[in-house]
Amino acid sequence: MDFKSYEIESSFYDEMFKVDGSPRAHCVELHSTLTDLTQLELSTMQERVTRSFYNEGITFIVYGDEAAGERIIPIDCVPRVLANAEWRHIESGLDQRLRALNLFLEDVYNEARIIADGVIPVDVIRGCPQYRIEMRGLSAPYGAWVAVCGTDLVRTNDGFRVLEDNLRVPSGVSYMIATRKAVKANLRNAYRRSQVLDVEHYGKLLLRTLRDIAPPGVSDPTIALLTPGVYNSAFYEHMFLASELDAELVEGRDLIVNDGYVYMRTTLGLRRVDVIYRRVDDDFIDPLVFRPDSYLGVPGLLHAYRLGNVTLANAPGTGVADDKSVYAYVPDIIRYYLNEEPILANVQTNLCRQPEGLEYTLDNLENLVVKQVGGSGGYGMLIGPHATPEERDAFAREIQADPANYISQPVLDLSRAPCLIDDEFEPRHVDLRPFILRGHETRIVPGGLCRIALPRGSLVVNSSQGGGAKDIWVLPT
Amino acid sequence: MLSSSANGIYWMARYMERASFMCRLLHIQSEALVDRPIAEIEFGWRRIYTAIDRSPLGGIQGAGPEDDYTLVDAFLLTDELTFVRDNPESILSCLERGRENARQIRNCVSEQMWTALNTEFLRIRDIKLTDIWLTSPGSFYAELLAGIDRFTGVATATMYRDEGWHFFRVGQFIERVQFSCSLLLTQTRLELQYGELAEASWRSLLRIFHASGAYDRTYSIEIQPELVLDLLVTDRRIPESLLRSVDRTTQELSSLGDGPNTATSGALRRLAGRLGALLRYDWPDRDDREEVLRQVLIYSRQLHDRLSETYFDYAIQGVPRSDVR
Repeated sequence: MDFKSYEIESSFYDEMFKVDGSPRAHCVELHSTLTDLTQLELSTMQERVTRSFYNEGITFIVYGDEAAGERIIPIDCVPRVLANAEWRHIESGLDQRLRALNLFLEDVYNEARIIADGVIPVDVIRGCPQYRIEMRGLSAPYGAWVAVCGTDLVRTNDGFRVLEDNLRVPSGVSYMIATRKAVKANLRNAYRRSQVLDVEHYGKLLLRTLRDIAPPGVSDPTIALLTPGVYNSAFYEHMFLASELDAELVEGRDLIVNDGYVYMRTTLGLRRVDVIYRRVDDDFIDPLVFRPDSYLGVPGLLHAYRLGNVTLANAPGTGVADDKSVYAYVPDIIRYYLNEEPILANVQTNLCRQPEGLEYTLDNLENLVVKQVGGSGGYGMLIGPHATPEERDAFAREIQADPANYISQPVLDLSRAPCLIDDEFEPRHVDLRPFILRGHETRIVPGGLCRIALPRGSLVVNSSQGGGAKDIWVLPT
Repeated sequence: MLSSSANGIYWMARYMERASFMCRLLHIQSEALVDRPIAEIEFGWRRIYTAIDRSPLGGIQGAGPEDDYTLVDAFLLTDELTFVRDNPESILSCLERGRENARQIRNCVSEQMWTALNTEFLRIRDIKLTDIWLTSPGSFYAELLAGIDRFTGVATATMYRDEGWHFFRVGQFIERVQFSCSLLLTQTRLELQYGELAEASWRSLLRIFHASGAYDRTYSIEIQPELVLDLLVTDRRIPESLLRSVDRTTQELSSLGDGPNTATSGALRRLAGRLGALLRYDWPDRDDREEVLRQVLIYSRQLHDRLSETYFDYAIQGVPRSDVR
């Protein structure tokens, strides 16, 4: 099927085509395969990919719409291709960023030199809802506060930028692997000829990372994955990862803390747990320390952590480093701790807590994206150009009522990639979420989850808001 | 293995086994609706509802209990037992619960098991009885039964033979003991209540247990209720006979470790032994067969309780020393 009706606009970077309409060098192989396939073959392939997700139950649940039941994430069968040099640039930038953020977390919960040296204002940290005073004076094993990170990157005509760092419980890696399996089974020849770099060994790297950060002296740690349960939106992923790790998938009720150690209830009695890869938010992990009404956590868990008898990945309190206000300071954080220039740029960010940032934001609402500092999943945000004047006015009032809770950024011209929409190739805006692991060293599988804003012209890629996903092929050269 | 995972596997197996029994019962009943006398159809409904200890939806409407099933529309009863989610015994409910358990312990079962169960559930989830009622209820149940059998076959072929496998089998066999026993007890009681039952009702009972051919080979084509009961209770060559199911339960229990509490573990194994002895040594000499079956049902329910106390929901007595790994 040809790309004759495919629209290329110079204002958006196209992942497959140059402005003159010819395929980029690293996309020639895939482009040729796609043009050789008939419309029927492509739509059948798309149907097979969707069907495989459906039958295997690779699903998620949207909060607030539980009645709709489990959904599958819409998968586009056309991969996005990255040249090796592009990937190397991203990889080194992500490594740099995560090293710096881990040093920041160690510092901010201990000596707080970065505040004393005036790099970040103290109120930015203390005003952050994810700052956990309970973590003051604590360290993470080997400095790996964040062992698992999912960073959102976007590309514009100016190159790649980091949109946000997800340092708490980032999800999506199971969809990355499931998408890869489904797509490579359907584009076998192109996949083989392209020698696409593997991502399916992510589970092994995660296991190595979690073993790295076991409590000192534990050489063969027992690892468990803590899930909020089957009604969590990402439960499929929790189950998938537990299986990859060959670890028990536990809920809070399966664990008890006694004498400063954590145990799980097994058919043979209680068994000690050394490392918990927790997919439960800070607020809910220990009702004795955080929210007392939580049934998802384990009473006494933080006590066991403080004693160094169990490792939590990620450590509680990491959310302070992916707060959207702190995000604005990440380039300074990198310079401060590593004495290096950031490899990956940030998106220009205006902090409404600062008078000039507030004024600029309110004066330019129609051109900006405004986000709540603790928000995620595409909720609690305003996309100025797509909002009505009434919506902008209402949002302005909310900002004025609590300026510290908001930041604004310019609307980015997210790159676009060809997607199969109603059996035709059409461009859609995409982002990229690679997954970064940090134990004794940084480990990253080459690729990630490419999220798609499926409605024409939309910039919202979140799966909870109708976004889809596609595979990313990183080439070896 | 995590207690909650073992519990999930156990219940997944039980719900799938229950769905299989319901499917067989309804398959036979759907065939009876075509050409059998009203009394036989009425008996079929009564047998199903009594076995699952439930009253029919919409029930009696002022008539005496003897008219329960002749007055109620077969369509409504079939629907309630097949697709109504509010009925926990309906086939769809059983599959849904089986799947819900499987979803929670997917990391403990094979990928093929999950896919077999998930696809079968998704296939029937949106079917309405009106879609199949006029043309093909029989083939619907036959296909569904094949789907459930496929799940069981895939489990046998692909499941890792660790503790999870033994809990899967225990769940299957305990459900089989309970459902079979309940069905045999119902048949016995209905005979006591209404006098001699039609030969067709014993023949259909044999079919539910896949034992019609075995009966003919062992005895003759003449139906004698006592012999039918003997066969279904004690003939270990019949895969779903009571004695075989009890023996298989005992065998699977012996493959499991003792659990954290040797007292409850011992009680569990003694109870399984008692159950086997009742069928093996009491049954042949007792005339009060209804009483024996009632005792079997009680023991089998206790077996579930002991199993739960031993492995799933045990009291924690003395937390291990911190160096226990």
